[in-house]
Amino acid sequence: MDKLRGDVRHAMIGGDRVRAKELRAELRDAEHRWDEALAELADKSQSAADSDAQAPATPVAALRLAPRARVLLPVREQVHQALTLLGAPAAPRLIVAVHEAFYAGRLVSSRLTSLRRDEERSFRAAPYARPYYLCAALTADLLSPARGLLAVSTWPMDRRIIGPLSPRVDYLTAAIAVAEQLQRSGDPEPAARRLLWRFAANIPRAASSMRSMSPHEVATAARAELAVHKEADSAHRTAAARRARTQLDDAAQLFGSGLALSRPADTSA
Amino acid sequence: MNDLEARLDRIRGNVAPRNHNARTVAALTSNPGCARRAIMDAAGVDKQLLASCAGFAAQFGQSQFAIGRGNAFEAQVKAGGCAELLRLLREHLQLSIPEVSYDNLDEVGGNTCREVRYARTRALLARAARSDQDAGTLFDHPLLRLQVGGRPVYLEPDLIAFQLRNRFYVVEIKSFSVIDGLADGEKVAAAVIQSAVYVLALRDLLADLGFGADSVADNVVLVCPENFSNQPTAALLDVRKQLTVLQRQLARLERIGSLVDLLPPALTFDPRLDEYGLPHRPVSELISDVRTVQARYAPQCLASCEMCFFCRDEARGTTAALGREVRDELGAVELVQVALRLADGTLTGADDQAEAAAMLRAAARLRSECLDGAA
Repeated sequence: MDKLRGDVRHAMIGGDRVRAKELRAELRDAEHRWDEALAELADKSQSAADSDAQAPATPVAALRLAPRARVLLPVREQVHQALTLLGAPAAPRLIVAVHEAFYAGRLVSSRLTSLRRDEERSFRAAPYARPYYLCAALTADLLSPARGLLAVSTWPMDRRIIGPLSPRVDYLTAAIAVAEQLQRSGDPEPAARRLLWRFAANIPRAASSMRSMSPHEVATAARAELAVHKEADSAHRTAAARRARTQLDDAAQLFGSGLALSRPADTSA
Repeated sequence: MNDLEARLDRIRGNVAPRNHNARTVAALTSNPGCARRAIMDAAGVDKQLLASCAGFAAQFGQSQFAIGRGNAFEAQVKAGGCAELLRLLREHLQLSIPEVSYDNLDEVGGNTCREVRYARTRALLARAARSDQDAGTLFDHPLLRLQVGGRPVYLEPDLIAFQLRNRFYVVEIKSFSVIDGLADGEKVAAAVIQSAVYVLALRDLLADLGFGADSVADNVVLVCPENFSNQPTAALLDVRKQLTVLQRQLARLERIGSLVDLLPPALTFDPRLDEYGLPHRPVSELISDVRTVQARYAPQCLASCEMCFFCRDEARGTTAALGREVRDELGAVELVQVALRLADGTLTGADDQAEAAAMLRAAARLRSECLDGAA
C-alpha cells in the first residue's frame, strides 16, 4: 500500500491524471482488502474464544466479502451487459451508472476510455474473431464516429446511427429500459431508483418527486414523448444506415470513417 | 488602412499576434478610457509576455479548478442529448415537445479545425433559419466569427437554441451558483457581457446570410447551478445595453488610427526575443515606451488586464489608484499628496480644485472632530 501511495503521488506530480485515478482505485481496493483481512482475523479470534460458534463467518463479514468475489467479468463484458440493458448507444458515464445500479462489481470509468480503440485494434487484427465488439455509434450525416458513445456491433446498423433527434430518442429508450428493469426486479436498490429519477426528472409528466415516482408511470411518459419523435428519427436512421452499408467497408461500418485524413492539410494551411 | 496595419505590426514587434476570445472582447468594455489597452489589443500585443518582460509578471487566467468545475457542470447539463437543458428550455422558453434536435459542432467527422467547424456551423444555422419546419434546435459548441479591429476572431458559445418563433437564443452555461434566486453580481455581469459578444457574432453571421438582427433574441439564457446543489436552473437576461456598449467599443477599435497617430513613430513594444524566447531589450527602454501611451488605471483592472501590476505601480500615489469613485469625486486633484495638503489647508489649490478642496477640508474637519470625541 505504501508503494501504491508513492506511485499515486508520482503520477499526480507527473500530471498523468488517468494513471493516478487508476492507481487510486487500486489503492482503495488494497485498503478495502486490508480492512477485510483485519475483520476476518478479529472474527476468527472471536470464534476461537467462543467454543460453540458454528458459523465460520458472521453475516456482516459475509456481506463484506461479497464485493470482492464480484469482479470476475472483464470490462468489455460488463459494458456489454449494461449496453444490452439500455438497448441504445450510451456514454461511458451512463454505462457506469447503469452497471452500478443493476450489476455486481465496480466499473471504473477511466478503463472505458481506451475500450473502443482496443476493440478496433482487435477487429482489424482478426476480423470477426469475437462474438461481438464494442464499437462506435455513427453520425447520420458524415458516418463518422459519434463522440463519446459506445454501441454493440451485433445491433442492427440503424440503431447505431445518431441523427439529430437520436440523442433524445436514445435517452427515452434508455429511460424505458431502466424503468422496465426496475419493474422486473421488484425491490430495487437505491442506486437503481436514483438512476431512474435522473431520467424521470427530465421527462415531462414522468414523476413529481423521487419518492412518489413509479417505474410504470415513467415508462408510460417516456413512451408518450418517444411516439412524438420516433417516426422522424427512424426515417433519418434508416436512410443513413442504408448509406453506411453501401459506402463503408467492414471496419468503417463498426468504427466509423472520419475526415481525420484531411486534418494535417487543414492545420498546416 | 495598410499603413495602419504596418504601424500596428511595428508596435507589436516580432511576436505572434494574440487572438481575441470572448473574454478579452468582453474585457474591452470594462475600461473604455484606457488608451494603452486599446492600442495593445488592436495591435494584438501579448500583454502577459510584455508585463513579464517589464518585470511585472501577473499570474493571469482562470484557475484549473474553476475550469474543471465549469466543464463538469456543462457536461452534466448536456448529458443525454441535453436532457436537463431541454427541461429548462421547455419551462423558460416554452420550447415545444417535438423540438429536441441536437447537433454537436465540437468536431466535424473527427476534424476539429476552426475553418471547417465554422463552415459547418454556418451551413447548419442557415438551414435552420431558412427551413419552415424543424431543422435543428440545439447547436452544441458552434463556432462563430467576429471582426475585431479588422481581424477575424473565432468565438465558441456553449450552445445556441433555436425556437419555432424564428429566433435564435444564445445559451450560456456557467458554474457559479444562484442562491435563493440571487447570484454574484460581478459574475453575472461578466457572463452577460460575454453572451452579448456571442449574440453580436451570431447576428453578424445571420446578417451575412441575409437575416435581420431580430432573428437573434436580445435575451440570453443563463444556466447555473441552483442553491448548493448541482441541479441546474435557468434565467433569461436582457443584453441590449451590453450590446450597444460592445458595438461602441468595437467601432472605436476600428478607429484606432486616430489614437496611433498621436504616438511617436519609433514607438514599439517589441521585447526583442531571441530564438530561446529570452528578451534582449533593455527593460528601462521598454518601460519608457510603454509609459508613452497613457493608461487609465482603476483597481478593477486587476481582474481583467494582464498589464495591471505595471499600471498599478505607475499609478501609485495618484487618486485613481484608490478607485473610480475617489477619482470622480476629487475631479482635478490627481495626486494623493495634493489631496492631503488641500485637506489640511497648507495648499489653497487652483480654481478648478476649489470644489474638491472644500469637500476635503470638510472631511478633514469631520475626521478630527470624530477623533477628538473618541479620545
